[in-house]
Amino acid sequence: MKQAALSLRELRKSFGSLLATNGLSLDLMPGELHAIIGPNGAGKSTMIGQITGEIRPDMGRVLMGGRDVTDWPVERRALHGLGRSFQITQLVHGFTAEDNVAMAVQGRQGHSFRFWGNARGDVRLRTPARQALATAGLAGRADTLVEDLSHGEMRQLELAVALAMNPSVLILDEPMAGMGAADSQQVVDILRQLKGSVTILLVEHDMDAVFALADRISVLVAGRIVGSGTVDEVRNDTKVREAYLGEEAVHA
Amino acid sequence: MQLLIEQSLNALQLGFTLFLLATGMTLIFGIMGLINLAHGSLYMVGAFIGTTAASQSGSILLGILAGVAGTAVAGVVVELLVFRRLYHRDHLYQVLATFGIILFVNELSTIIWGRAPLLVEIPDWLNGSVQLMPGLSYPVYRLAVVGVGALVAIGLHLLVERTRLGMLVRAGATDRDMVAALGVNIARLYTAVFALGAAFAGLAGILAAPIQSTQIGMGEQVLILTFVVVVVGGVGSVKGAFAGSMLIALVDTLGRAYVPGLFKLLFSSSVADALGTSVASVAIYLVMAVVLIVHPQGLFPESR
Amino acid sequence: MAVIASPAALAGAPRPALRPLMEATVLLALLALVPLASTLLDDSYLTTLATRIVIMALLAMSLDLVLGYGGLVSFGHAAFFGLGGYTVGILAFHLEDGTPIFGFAGSTSGLVTVPLAMAVSALAALVIGFLSLRTRGVHFIMITLAFAQMIFFVFVGLKYYGGDDGLILTARNMVPGVDLTDPTSFYYACLFVLVLVFLGLKRLTYSRFGMVLRGSKMSERRMRALGYNVTHYRLVAFVISGALAGLAGALAANEARFVSPEMLSWMRSGEVIIMVVLGGVGTLIGPILGAAAFVLLEMGLSDLTEHWMLILGPILVLVVLLLEGGLLSLLGKVRR
Repeated sequence: MKQAALSLRELRKSFGSLLATNGLSLDLMPGELHAIIGPNGAGKSTMIGQITGEIRPDMGRVLMGGRDVTDWPVERRALHGLGRSFQITQLVHGFTAEDNVAMAVQGRQGHSFRFWGNARGDVRLRTPARQALATAGLAGRADTLVEDLSHGEMRQLELAVALAMNPSVLILDEPMAGMGAADSQQVVDILRQLKGSVTILLVEHDMDAVFALADRISVLVAGRIVGSGTVDEVRNDTKVREAYLGEEAVHA
Repeated sequence: MQLLIEQSLNALQLGFTLFLLATGMTLIFGIMGLINLAHGSLYMVGAFIGTTAASQSGSILLGILAGVAGTAVAGVVVELLVFRRLYHRDHLYQVLATFGIILFVNELSTIIWGRAPLLVEIPDWLNGSVQLMPGLSYPVYRLAVVGVGALVAIGLHLLVERTRLGMLVRAGATDRDMVAALGVNIARLYTAVFALGAAFAGLAGILAAPIQSTQIGMGEQVLILTFVVVVVGGVGSVKGAFAGSMLIALVDTLGRAYVPGLFKLLFSSSVADALGTSVASVAIYLVMAVVLIVHPQGLFPESR
Repeated sequence: MAVIASPAALAGAPRPALRPLMEATVLLALLALVPLASTLLDDSYLTTLATRIVIMALLAMSLDLVLGYGGLVSFGHAAFFGLGGYTVGILAFHLEDGTPIFGFAGSTSGLVTVPLAMAVSALAALVIGFLSLRTRGVHFIMITLAFAQMIFFVFVGLKYYGGDDGLILTARNMVPGVDLTDPTSFYYACLFVLVLVFLGLKRLTYSRFGMVLRGSKMSERRMRALGYNVTHYRLVAFVISGALAGLAGALAANEARFVSPEMLSWMRSGEVIIMVVLGGVGTLIGPILGAAAFVLLEMGLSDLTEHWMLILGPILVLVVLLLEGGLLSLLGKVRR
């Protein structure tokens, strides 16, 4: 059996009396695009936090490519190939769009205890950064300051930064939230290109995108996975429809 | 043995003084997110106002009342004028503004009260010593301070745990937005918390006045100690403020009492002289460093 | 064109914007001409004053690295300043005294004392930084303050080196080729150091290291998610900053030929923060302006009244409440 690219084993996390994660187990196969859907309050943020390392689970393990990374800090997991985009954009204000992407590229080029050369003039950073921006459709905005970008552009940049990391496992936290149809389609196209080479965990509410992209879907309710399967399987699962799809079923 | 008990009682007294200061500071920071360097100035102002009132009226009780009330009023005035606009600002700017306030208050106090230390007379009924055990007499006044401190601590505990204001304070410390959403007048809550913190600081000041001289600069010395207590105890936590105060007071008092002597036993007298007092005075910082290494959030951090 | 002090102007173009370069040149020219003015006006105090400003500017710049670019409010920088100064003082003391320290005879050679001063401060910054950077926000401010106090009390207690009264240096350090006893030569030496450090720090802030530091100030979460161990980078910045503060201290010890625990006081730490914020954080030029403004303000106000702090205090409060970007942004507004 193939080694899972990302594996969550019986994660459990409480905040005081709130049980946010309750026996969460999930396996992501290399190259697949796995979508997570579920009602609000199901514990998506807590799950993502435990995957990236910002939150320590009370119980359970997180494995990347078979390695137990449960005790690894955020940056170590990132260096090991874990990339993520933030739901609320975490961009560096005061830097341009290109600067932001360049930071992702720079992180991949060894340590940054280099005190002399001008980072902005470094082609080893600028060229890949501009390429990543072009892929994300932001080529013309490279020299624009983050604070001068539109909301949609910021979200695109957020994705570009995550991609520029060249991650092996990519966690996308509602990348299409608040995006219009055209922008959403662009993101779908980008992700479709990545399928196969990057393992993607897509947390999304946008059902069209999910059904268009996902190899498999898991449903997260009350801190655990209640159902997993292919698009068709999940679509037709009555339990899942009851638990979650509910009103969406009318539109689907 | 007697020395140990005596020093421990001294530590207890210092501990309660620090507790009064640390509680105010930790609550103000925990709830309003304000780092207030001028907290020590409130301590000093309490001592000055209280001392003046006590000398003028001849009654130390009146002095205490004046000190507490005066400081609370001063605190509210500064809160309304300056601090209100600082809550949402970066800590850097809070540091700067409160630093400016220290300069101003210190200078103003120098103008009003002069540079010479003020002395307060302990009234007869609190003067003198009591025999705690054969060979050990201890000043009544210091015992009184311990008593008052203990009462305040118990009262504060009841306030925070049992009253509505206390509930708001506890909630505010962990979730400001929720408290606002409950329809509570946040501005008034903040002012109330600040007034409480200021009152405690003023109380600490006037209680300490007869024991240590009331003079310009007394606020700064105690401010640093308070910072150490808050860091060791855990920011935002009253329990932490209590534990931190007692620990720091014990380390500092017993350190100063015993370390120089210890050094004299272990090292040559010149080395002991040179280093003994230095090490004693930095003992609390070493404790702080250890706490930081082992448990950076403090002993009893407020869980968020 | 955008306001000078905003990150925008500095971050926007692929090359550093032209205006800060012009401003720096103007400033440098002004500073270089001070001894000339001093001779013309027959006021030797002018050079001494300018020397003090230059040294404070160096100290303020060192703090700006961690505060303005790193986002770390260090309230204990006076400790590094004082340690640098005391290293110079103690080395001179032992040479004169004849007694060795740690097997070393002491020295008054600038080529020995200054690097040593920087090394001592850097080491202190390493230890303090390592412990303090385990905390953030308010904790960090309080802890750096407390550690600085600790060092302050150590020196107050060291009666051997003067304790509260401080230590007098009989003469300035010696450097081959330059007569540091001459005020003008000493001034130019300090100015030279200031310019060197300024250029070095400017390069640093645009380097890969600098970008990581600045990015971490704005969004630590993002930087960690990109694989950067932010704490390590901050520690290195802290050490560099401490070393430069020690350099300022060594120069100060030479300037006044006197060191005292006052150099390590928390009031001093507060003053440095004031200088940086007054001038404009994260700009490197701002701290220079701020240092000048503060020293001149202090001098001017104390001439006015004995109770000058009564005026300075509220000024500070007003600056904080009204001016978001410090003096530099004020200048920017005027130019617009």
